[in-house]
Amino acid sequence: MTDPLLKVEGIRAGYGGAPVLHGISVHVDTDEAVGLFGPNGHGKSTLLRTISGLLRPGEGRVAFDGTDITTEAAWNIVARGLIHAQQGNTLFGTMTVGETLELAAFTPRAREAKAESLDRVHTLFPRLAERRGQFARTLSGGERQMLSIGCALMCVPRLLMLDEPTLGLSPRLKEELARAIGEIGKSGIPLIVVEQDVEFLMALTKRLYLIEHGEVTREIDKANAPDHKEIMEIYFGAGET
Amino acid sequence: MTETLIATIVSGLLLGALYALMASGLSLVWTTLGVFNFAHGALMMLGAFVAWTVCEPMGLGLIPGIVAGVAASALAGIVIEYLVVRPFYGNRAMLLITVMTTLAAMIILESGAQIIWGARLKQLPPLLEGNVSIFGAVVSRHEALIIVIAPLVLLALWRFTVSTRVGRSLRAVGLNQDAAALIGINVPRAFSLAFGLSAGLAGLTGALLGSIRFITPSLGSEPLLKAMIVVIFGGLGSLGASAGAAFVIGMVEAFLVFSLGLYWTPSVLFVLLIVVLVFRPNGLFGRAGA
Repeated sequence: MTDPLLKVEGIRAGYGGAPVLHGISVHVDTDEAVGLFGPNGHGKSTLLRTISGLLRPGEGRVAFDGTDITTEAAWNIVARGLIHAQQGNTLFGTMTVGETLELAAFTPRAREAKAESLDRVHTLFPRLAERRGQFARTLSGGERQMLSIGCALMCVPRLLMLDEPTLGLSPRLKEELARAIGEIGKSGIPLIVVEQDVEFLMALTKRLYLIEHGEVTREIDKANAPDHKEIMEIYFGAGET
Repeated sequence: MTETLIATIVSGLLLGALYALMASGLSLVWTTLGVFNFAHGALMMLGAFVAWTVCEPMGLGLIPGIVAGVAASALAGIVIEYLVVRPFYGNRAMLLITVMTTLAAMIILESGAQIIWGARLKQLPPLLEGNVSIFGAVVSRHEALIIVIAPLVLLALWRFTVSTRVGRSLRAVGLNQDAAALIGINVPRAFSLAFGLSAGLAGLTGALLGSIRFITPSLGSEPLLKAMIVVIFGGLGSLGASAGAAFVIGMVEAFLVFSLGLYWTPSVLFVLLIVVLVFRPNGLFGRAGA
């Protein structure tokens, strides 16, 4: 039996004494895309921040590629290839798109592949090539998401975690980003995608975790996919409607 | 009359050059860490004393002295960051706490210098002997050299932050620490580097100033105050804004000294700062809402 690429076991974490995660366990294999969904404020982003090393868990263990990275610094985790694209990230406001993408190939591993990565990002998001000389803070919401994902790709991910990549975007942009994320997945990069939209996730991933109150309350795959009514119940509670 | 005018302008340029060197270091730390380093002036004083020790008692010459002064200040800057700034990262009151801790570092450095080097006035020889005449105004070659060196050093620093990978990483850390960490930048190492560079600049300023003024443990306090005015005046922002503000302040100060005398100059300078901040709260070159 081989270990999964990412193994998160019994993570408890929170901010300044306020616990958010109450013993979460998830895992991702080398050849799959996994979705996290659930209501806002129930710990999805906190889980990603704990995995990527921005937040230290009080309890539990995170292992990537067979190595314990629970207490490793965020920049060392990046060097291992576990990349986290944050939600609604403005990145570096007064840096241009071109500078930001170039800088994002920061680790030695990423620098070696810089030219290829940049080609790949520009093919995936031609908009970023057009906006090369523009400051990041002048970009639209959709373009910021593209830059955020573009930066993550510049890091040459071996596992890519995307936090609500389509938050607040128009349906058309959402579709464009979904297509791009789909292509990233098809290129063989394992994914963790956080989203509110279950149908969006079902299209992109094989397996979903429902996260509620800082715990995994349900694991879903194609075989036991919830229907629309069930999803509404998850978000709005089982009502007597 | 034109000679006095030119002499005043040259003196303004000299002040501007010294303030720009000081202020650029202060603003580098501010933009990268969000900390105001009150020990910056003491680091400058340390550079001057170490340069003097290597140059005079050890007799190794001025250039090795300046190099040693810059290195000693840079090292002291890194140590200060590690000891009194780093423990407070992420603390909500970090800005206020580090005001206190860097002030403490300043006092320790100044008292330490008093114990090590004593109170007797010391002075470095000039880098270049003799005087030059600029359009009829006589200036020492050393001062003329500072006016030339300062912009070159600032230009190099600017190039470093804009076009090198490491320099850009400093800017990135200053703009968004989490995002910087998530592309693999070692954030604490960037902090050390910013502090070290900034302190090295202070040391260079001290070593250059040590040939013009007497070196005392409080050599850095007045330049620190001026550098703070400059950084605030420039809008707490980019290197360019700080450098620009440094030359504006240097020039204004030179003309105030010429017209009002030394006595009134500091007060008028502060009144001007307040007036500018009333009309431009983000500083002379600051962007609204930036």
